[in-house]
Amino acid sequence: MRQEFYKTLMSPMWLVVLLLAVVVPPLLPSYYLHIVILSLVYVALASAWNIVGGMAGQISLAHSLFIGTGAMLSTALLLKLGVNMWLGLVISAVISGVMGAAIAWIDFRFQLGHLSFVLITLAFAEMGTVIVEGWDFLGGASGLLLPQDKGDFLAFQFGGGIGAFWVMLVLAIASILINVAILNAPLGYYLRTIRDNENAARAIGVNILRYKVAAMVISAMLSSVIGTAYVRYLTFADPYLLVSPIIIIEIVLFATVGGLGRAYGPAFGALLLVPLGEILRGKLGGVLPGLHYFIYGVVVIAVILISPRGLLPPLERWFSRPRAKSAPAE
Amino acid sequence: MTEFLQAMAQGLLIGSTYGLLALGMGLVYGVSGVVNFSHGDFISLGMFLCLALYSAIAMDPYVSLIITVPVMTVLGGLVYWYLLRPMVGHQFLMVVQLTLGLSLVLQNGILMVFGGQPARTPSVVESKLLILGDVVVRVPHVIAFVVSFAMAIGLYVMLRSTDFGRSIRAVHQNAHAAALMGIDVSRVQTLTFALGIGILAIAAALLLPGTPIQPAQGLRYTVITLIVVALGGMTNFVGIMLGGLIIGLSEAFGTIYLSDTLGMLFPYGIFVLIMLFRPQGLTWSSAR
Amino acid sequence: MLEVDHLVTGYGGVPVLHDVSLTLRAGEIVGLLGANNAGKTTLINSLSGMYPPMSGRILFEGQDVTAMTPRQRVELGIIQVPEGRLVFPEMSVRENLLLGGINARARAHRPRQMDHVLELFPRLQERLAQKAGTLSGGEQQMLAIGRGLMAEAKLLMLDEPSLGLSPLFVQYIFGIIDRLHGEGLSILLIEQNLNLTLRHAQRCYVLERGRIAVEGNADTVKDDPRTRRAYLGL
Repeated sequence: MRQEFYKTLMSPMWLVVLLLAVVVPPLLPSYYLHIVILSLVYVALASAWNIVGGMAGQISLAHSLFIGTGAMLSTALLLKLGVNMWLGLVISAVISGVMGAAIAWIDFRFQLGHLSFVLITLAFAEMGTVIVEGWDFLGGASGLLLPQDKGDFLAFQFGGGIGAFWVMLVLAIASILINVAILNAPLGYYLRTIRDNENAARAIGVNILRYKVAAMVISAMLSSVIGTAYVRYLTFADPYLLVSPIIIIEIVLFATVGGLGRAYGPAFGALLLVPLGEILRGKLGGVLPGLHYFIYGVVVIAVILISPRGLLPPLERWFSRPRAKSAPAE
Repeated sequence: MTEFLQAMAQGLLIGSTYGLLALGMGLVYGVSGVVNFSHGDFISLGMFLCLALYSAIAMDPYVSLIITVPVMTVLGGLVYWYLLRPMVGHQFLMVVQLTLGLSLVLQNGILMVFGGQPARTPSVVESKLLILGDVVVRVPHVIAFVVSFAMAIGLYVMLRSTDFGRSIRAVHQNAHAAALMGIDVSRVQTLTFALGIGILAIAAALLLPGTPIQPAQGLRYTVITLIVVALGGMTNFVGIMLGGLIIGLSEAFGTIYLSDTLGMLFPYGIFVLIMLFRPQGLTWSSAR
Repeated sequence: MLEVDHLVTGYGGVPVLHDVSLTLRAGEIVGLLGANNAGKTTLINSLSGMYPPMSGRILFEGQDVTAMTPRQRVELGIIQVPEGRLVFPEMSVRENLLLGGINARARAHRPRQMDHVLELFPRLQERLAQKAGTLSGGEQQMLAIGRGLMAEAKLLMLDEPSLGLSPLFVQYIFGIIDRLHGEGLSILLIEQNLNLTLRHAQRCYVLERGRIAVEGNADTVKDDPRTRRAYLGL
């Protein structure tokens, strides 16, 4: 593991984050806290997807399967079979991991091109939606309602509000740190090699299958875990939100606009676009149908035109401006 | 047996239009490397423009092409010039996200102007039927078939025998060398995109009669077009037309023999099967 | 005819050419020599308008073309035959030639130019319908030069025409170059092959790491020790 990982781990930035996390949420009205929590969920999900989409260069639209499994399966297991949700979380994660491995294997075995991979993973996502909506055990088309969140930690309850905030913060940070870890470990190196030129990678003997599977399994399991936590916060497991491809399309948008393949890119994408979307919807949703999405679309186009390499480069440039006020000669 | 022929006829008729839709996307991709995820929403736009003209001056959709084709072609040129040309050389997925933003803008723009209720635009020929033996086909589908094929052939001839067509193929095969010939690569890319959108205006009028339209339908057409383009190996002319027919046929057979929802998934299944066992798509020696 | 004044150019803010100046008079063959990454291709691409220069000027027939687009330069008659031929592989020989003459000035005379080019390269006449990608290296070079001629060049710039060709073909191609010179065409010849260039060019420039190290007529350049040094990096 390279030095950069330990440096990042020890960075004072986390202290600032911790400070903000302790001080700010109790001061926020619940609507704004909700937006913060939602943003953290998508920071976590976008960063998880980044492992496959950004680092390995595989644009997978199948992640709605993993998120959906994490959400719907653990809920169904709790409600229909009385399985503790912590256990449900683990079971869902494992199943997601297996599905992810299978998809990675299919991609490898059949040598799918990029567009084919996108469309085939989309096909899987659609099939998953059809299956969930048709299967009563998983709630069918009407979804499942979780028991009220009374804060019983052993029952996988966090008490809504601040509790959920901390859970999501931990997941978001964990997701980002996993990104940093992978980027600084041999796995990250191999993934980038495969992403940039798969044929060349194969020619020099890189075990493509192993690394693609590894990336997909990590990403899938992480997404599943986040899905379980997310559904607990929502309390209502809505298949339209959690299983349909809509969620993954949003995640890909956040990850790309923020900066694919970089550890913090997807986080910034989510932190910009999630609050924007929520606030637009809140203020304009009732005014004229479609207005808030229209403006959202315009903003997305504008952000991309202004910052086509992602949100990180301008931020980095801004932070490394020569400090005009410091000592003249170094 | 009649059912079989019926499905066959329907599939071929609609499939040719799918092929035409995909040709537009394939050309744009070959020349500028852009996959336009708002493709279906431009079709939507074309359809709603026809609706607007019909509501305003009772113009038949086929006739309104006189207005919609130039308008959409110019719009396409403007969209490319101001939104996509600045993105040349940037990450593919970033450009895709821009087109998704564009999709939101188009879809919701239509929603804001026209409202969300499905609407229909009657056409003079809408309810006319053509009866060939035991098979009943609707005249609009026949018109769609004939026009789509004619346009496909027209495009093919244009690519092969005109200087513009040759410059499109040149830019696709080697943009640097094309520039050295004095070809204005940006201009070719812009015109190709505009042409693609113009084709969508025509396709919209072809698909419109008898179809209730709503703002959110764009995605469905985009996905179908993507599938057909992928089947056609992205830029292979014959492969794309063939892919269109296959998807059209599988949709027709799916809906007639299976249920409606499964019928919509059937083309997807066929697509997955073909791509798994023939990842390069339906290409053989280039018809580029 | 061509005058390059203190040209500084490169990519991404990093200059590759530093203060390059050269001239080419009408009807001359001027050789541009240098080792692999000396900047020869960057220079020729700058002349074709592919990179806007960071500073300096390019004058063609007295006109300042520095700000002109590649298309405008082709219209003026500045034609490049690129390194590696870069023929359009899926198009036939005939289509490649047609594309060569696609610019507005040349288009009017395309049929006549085509006859002229095919007379110059009978081999291409035989292969007219064949896909350019299936031609041999030498045939592709003929096609690339023919394509350049279709554009009614006033200045023909050849980037490494001998690259990858058999000695027989090299001789043939350079025979063509001499013939074109005889017909009055101005030629800028980029070659790594020192002796070959010195034999055919009247004057030469030697580029070393983005700067002109040596210039003069063929003999001057040949005898100058700096030439060998630029090539061998000593």
